[in-house]
Amino acid sequence: MEHAESQVTTLLVSQPNFADHHTPQGHPERADRIRAVEDALAGPDYAALKRSNAPFGDIMLAELVHDGTYLARLRDARPAEGIGQLDADTFISDGSMGVAATGLGGALAGLEAVLLGEVDNAFCAIRPPGHHAEIALPMGFCLINTIAIAAREAQRKYGAERVAIVDFDVHHGNGTQDIFKDDPSVFYASSHQMPLYPGTGSPAETGVGNIVNVALPAHSGGEAMREAYDDIILPALDNFAPDHIRDPLAQLEWVDGDFGWVTAKLMEVAHRRCGNRIVSLLEGGYDLKGLAGGVRSHVSTLLDL
Amino acid sequence: MADTAHDDVKTLSFEAALEQLEQIVAKLESGKAPLAESIAIYERGEALKAHCEALLKTAEARIEKITLNREGKAVGTEPLDAG
Repeated sequence: MEHAESQVTTLLVSQPNFADHHTPQGHPERADRIRAVEDALAGPDYAALKRSNAPFGDIMLAELVHDGTYLARLRDARPAEGIGQLDADTFISDGSMGVAATGLGGALAGLEAVLLGEVDNAFCAIRPPGHHAEIALPMGFCLINTIAIAAREAQRKYGAERVAIVDFDVHHGNGTQDIFKDDPSVFYASSHQMPLYPGTGSPAETGVGNIVNVALPAHSGGEAMREAYDDIILPALDNFAPDHIRDPLAQLEWVDGDFGWVTAKLMEVAHRRCGNRIVSLLEGGYDLKGLAGGVRSHVSTLLDL
Repeated sequence: MADTAHDDVKTLSFEAALEQLEQIVAKLESGKAPLAESIAIYERGEALKAHCEALLKTAEARIEKITLNREGKAVGTEPLDAG
């Protein structure tokens, strides 16, 4: 599995039906986000990416992390036509469950390719995001918690004992924390702006010692982020010694290079601890230019460009 | 999207724009705004900040040196040579 640096292989998983999940006009979580990501990774610089299309994942796997009535409640909220609303932020249209299913299928395809050693790492350009979806509550644009389900599948299907999730979206992943807060086999670290939506993510929230939250003030910039990772998140991650690492993506007045920096640091731990195995899922990122730049920096680093 | 949605910002006075900006910062920092609203008001905040910065720059360019006569009274202005 050990590759020379020039032979790093990165899989880009795309989602063919991403535009079938409809949100109201002007809503930040929109199909153009995925178009911006795909455009950002279309150039000759990214010719080395292996590419695949996300298959439909088994949506029932959502019950690995959500309660027994969760999927039924989502289905009931889905209108025959038009757009239904789950809360002030979160919408569901007729095609949304199919898009959530390919988002999950894409994440699981990335997971399988990495865990079977077909590629070194994978980036999944999927929507809707998932990290705000709690055990019992869809919220914050999120229908199902895709990364949490994939982490559970890594354990259930592929025998991973310890899975680490590192979340550098600007918002705290309250859902992912809610799902794993009592489970010492899954480590969850998040750096996020605070105070900001959803209001959770205080450093005092530590689960059973498996949760690490770093709250960054508004406009703190890349320097504060680097200190937080060097001093707090990376040592905790290293100490946890995961079988593989999953990282979701989005922004906090970081310049593009900051996304590359944090990616490189996570790759160092992955190299030392888990045979380089990283599966990355897109979470937020609503400014299209910022999203494209952050993704380019992140994927270039995964590709070791 | 952001460029056209906040065109009205360009008609605001510096004081009005700054006041709106302060309200947005307070709301964002409360952590209580829903996600979609917080993203929308953040974009408006960016437009307000850009507008305030542009107004400041224009004002700076207009600062003129007040010239005084021998009695110390202002007799006119000349462009500031900030050197």
